[in-house]
This record gives sequence, C-alpha cells and structure tokens, in this order.
Amino acid sequence: MSFLQPLLSGILTGGVYALAGIGMSLVFGVMNISNFAHGDLMMLGMYMAYFAFTLLHIDPYLSLVLIIPTAFFFGFMLEKLFINRVIHHPHQNQILLTIGLGLIMSNTALLAFTSDPKILTTTYSSSAFNLPGDISISLPLLLSFLITCVIISILYLFLAKTSTGMALRATSQNREAAQLMGINVAKMSAIAFGIGTALAATAGALIAPTYYIHPLAGHSFLLKAFTICVLGGLGSVVGAGVGGIIIGVVEAMSSTYLSTDWKDVIVFVLFLAVLLLRLEGLFGKKGGR
Amino acid sequence: MKHIALVTLIAATAIALPLFIGENPYIIGILISVLMMAALSSAWNILGGYAGQYSFGHAAYFGAGAYTTLIMLTLFNTLNPVICILVGIVVASLIALMTGSIVFRLRGHYFGLASIAVAEIVRLSVLNFECTGGAQGILLTDISLWGLDLNSKNPFYYGMLLVLAVTLAITAYLRRSKTGYYLQAIREDQDAAASLGINLSFYKNKALLISAALTSVLGSLYGLYIRFIDTSAVLDLRLSIEIILTAIIGGVGTLWGPVVGAILLVPLAEILRSNLLGEALVKAGLVSETSGIGIFLKENLAHAHVLVYGIITVLCILYLPKGILGLYRRKQ
Repeated sequence: MSFLQPLLSGILTGGVYALAGIGMSLVFGVMNISNFAHGDLMMLGMYMAYFAFTLLHIDPYLSLVLIIPTAFFFGFMLEKLFINRVIHHPHQNQILLTIGLGLIMSNTALLAFTSDPKILTTTYSSSAFNLPGDISISLPLLLSFLITCVIISILYLFLAKTSTGMALRATSQNREAAQLMGINVAKMSAIAFGIGTALAATAGALIAPTYYIHPLAGHSFLLKAFTICVLGGLGSVVGAGVGGIIIGVVEAMSSTYLSTDWKDVIVFVLFLAVLLLRLEGLFGKKGGR
Repeated sequence: MKHIALVTLIAATAIALPLFIGENPYIIGILISVLMMAALSSAWNILGGYAGQYSFGHAAYFGAGAYTTLIMLTLFNTLNPVICILVGIVVASLIALMTGSIVFRLRGHYFGLASIAVAEIVRLSVLNFECTGGAQGILLTDISLWGLDLNSKNPFYYGMLLVLAVTLAITAYLRRSKTGYYLQAIREDQDAAASLGINLSFYKNKALLISAALTSVLGSLYGLYIRFIDTSAVLDLRLSIEIILTAIIGGVGTLWGPVVGAILLVPLAEILRSNLLGEALVKAGLVSETSGIGIFLKENLAHAHVLVYGIITVLCILYLPKGILGLYRRKQ
C-alpha cells in the first residue's frame, strides 16, 4: 500500500479532530478550565445530526446550520448555570464538575436513546473516489474536512477581526488585565464555552456519518481532544489545529504499519512524551510547571 | 477517650455484623462492596486528600492486583493466594514508580491528565495482550486457602474489613507523623514546602506507593471474590472516578470521610441497580407496574445509577465541596 494513503486519510480525519481540539483549547485559554464534558458534547452533536436526518430528513452536513446555534446556546447556558460557579475553585473541583456534567449527559442519552448504536447512512456514506497511484478518498471524510476548513477560517476571522473576538483573546492572555480594561470577562467565559460547545457538537455531527453513534461515544474523543490540546499547547487555537492533524496522521500511520489495536496506546505515549519534553506544547505561550 | 470508645464500638459492630445477618448473601454482598469502596477511597485519600495529588488513574493499581492474582492462579492453581497478593503489590508498586516519575513533575491540569493517560495505557495494554485474556477477561474456577470455605462470602467480608482497618490505621498514623505533616505542607503550597527543604518528589512517591499497594491488595481480593475480571470491571476510568467521588462526598483529607462516602453511595447505587426503587414505588401504589412509567422504570432504572452519580457529583462540587464531614467540622 502506498505511503500516501494513510497520510491523506490521517490528514482528513485529523481536520475533524482539530475542530474538537480547538473548542477545548479556546475554553481552556479563556477560562483556564479543562472541560471533561467535551467528549459528551460531541456525542450530543452526533445525536443532533442523527435526529435531524431521521426525523426532519435534513442532510447531516446541512443540519449544521441548526446544530451550531443550538449547541452554542446550550454551552452558553451550561456556563452560566454551572461552570462559572467553580471558575475560582481548585482545578480538581472544576475537573470533577465537568466529569459530573458529562456523566449526566451521557447517561441521560443512554436512558433516552438506549445503548443500541445508531448508524447514520446517507446515499453517499460509502462513496469514494480514486486518485492516481491507488489512493482512494472517502467522500464523507473529504466533505467533513472541507467544512472544517471553512469553520476554522470563520473562527479565525472572528477572533482576529471582531471586537468580541479581540476581547476573547485579551481575556485569554490576561484575565485580570482584561477586566481592568473594561471587558466583561464573565460574559467572555460564557461566549467561549458556547463556542467550544458549538465546535464540539460540529465535530460530532461531522463524524456522525462515518462512526457508530452511541451514548458513550464521547469518551474516546475526550482523551483525544486533550492530547491534541496539550500537543498544540493548552490554550493555543493554532496549536490545536496543527495538533489535530498530527494526531490524525499518527493514528492512521500506526493503524497501517503497526496494528489498529495499539493506535490509542501510541497516541497516549505521544501525549506523555509531549508533557515531559515540551510542556508548553508546540505553540503554547508559557509552561504550567 | 470518647474517640477510642467510638472506634471500638464501630469495629465491634463491623466484626459482629455478619453474625446478625446470617447467611443472606445479597446483604453480605452489598456490605463487602461498601467495605471495598471505603478502603479504596481511603487508600486514594492518602495521596489525594493528604498530599493533595488528585490521581485520576487509581483503577490501574486495582487492576494490577486483580490481574496479577488471577493470572498467577490460572497458571499455577495450587498456589497460595497470599503469595499472589504479595506479587500483585510488587507489580502495582512498579507501575506506581513509573507513573510517579512521569506525573509528579507536572501540576494542576497536567497532573490530572497525565494520571488518566498512564491508566489508559495500562488498560489498553491489558486489553491488547494475549496473556491477560484480552477483551474476554479471566475466569477463575477454583481456589483454596488454608481450608477456608471460599464459596461463602464471609471470608471476603473479613478480608475487606481487615484491609480497611489497616488503611485507616496507616492514615491515622501518617497524618500525625513527620511524613504526614510534609504531605499536608505539599498540599497547601508546593513551592513553600520545597523552600523549607522538603523533598517533594520523595514524599509524593512515598504517598503514592502506600496508596497503590493498598489499592492493589483490594484488587486482588476483588478478583478472588468475584473470580471473573475484565478491563471494564477493574481498569476503567469510571472506577477511578467513583473512588474520588466517594472521598469527595464524605470529605477529602479527613480520616473517616471516605468511609462515610462509601456507606452513602454504594447502597444507593445498589438500590438503583437492582431496581429496588422501582419495585418500592409499585408496591406503594404510586406507579402501576403495567403503565408506561412502570415499564420505563423497570427497564431503565438499572442504568440510572451512573446518572445519579453524575447529579450527586455536580451538586456536591457546587454546594458541598468539602464533603459531609467538612460540613460537620465547619459547624463545630
């Protein structure tokens, strides 16, 4: 098999991972909170896409128009009701609170949607096209990647050009100084968490056509999203983007050349190696030692 | 004096309890779970509560004990289980030393994340190796120990009780010892502790080793008791979180907090899991068994205990971050 095949599918999958990682990194940067409910928010996105498709007959990619605002509002309220109350607590309390919220979401989904995995089959789910040199690209994966690129560009423009985006970046750089400059940091936290949730749900919706949809599906993505953030530097949006691609490629390469069973182990070993060798990640600002 | 009398009373009640219950295996089973979770949470508390190092990966040490014991007994079935428990401690300590050398360099978010990553590497490795039975797990058919009747649950009740007593005794001794004061200093302010000449890495690793060894003994006992283990039962992240949650609800960094947490949480989970609540509602005439709600409760309440854990975690962090014993202490 050609070396390019795993590289290319790794990059395409990595794009969606990057989306999930960027959401988590933004939340970490602005609020200094590790969000352990991130994987479950992705799972909610998967179910939203599934029900939009089965009940409303909307194409999963088109349904993003509904999913993004719904998820943003959900995340915004989640922050207002729960997360902001632990923003000055020790890290472990924040971690446990988000773990608790994640357990509530995944187990409510388990009660409501049962544990039977659902499959979202579109007409183009298994279609692929061939490139010269025996490389085939799955159409849903390519579509997901392109949509990811569009969303990341919009997010980039939002953060770089708008005043809200600038306020978010200022809060991320220095919360106290931002507050002294008259930025409403509490509102920025809620917006950041809303955007983080929307990005997680989008990533979930984008992978829904190629994965089993299951109430506990978020678990494996949670640890992947953390690895991506740490790799890119917790809080760095650009870093998370690059981190996502790296993880996607590492996974695809290790599935091809080692074995599918060990690919997650390799991702975690990489994670620990980054923590030990370069704590600030590839694009991080400063260490947290 | 009052304190000693109270402890003696609790100990005497715990020892005599199986005699009153007789041979009701269901109740004894729940009591064993309570003792096990109390001991696990107390062992975690030495590292998490006193040294302030919140390990999110204690399932790795539990699994190390359980897997070592069951693998050894499957290979040599005439072996004395006590030897297996001791080897389990060695294996868990080795994993702990490896973990410690990685995670104790990190702080805050990074420490918690790294402890999860190490535990997940252990879980995935066990899942992928052949000698551990992979996803099928290990089933043990027959064991013998000094002629004890191990088909009865009572030996395991006393076994768990013994480990809990040892864990509490170690905690009680530690917190008034030099090591204990050093650990609490590290918990309050690492940099200040280091500047006073406390060897951070040595004392953190010491607390982790004690904690991991006790956790591994409990894992071995669990393996011998249930005689079937797989990665989702003994190595899952969910187990690590349940251990922490038990300590949080009772009171982190208190001697009896984990015990209180286990007494509250384990029976609650059991009531939900075995659908006792649904049956009680039907018996009380509040819900009809054949109505939609009755059927829904019967089919789904069994999964609901994790949901309830989630709700309790959220409420506890928001309203009772110091746990039940923390609340009591504040009133004093």
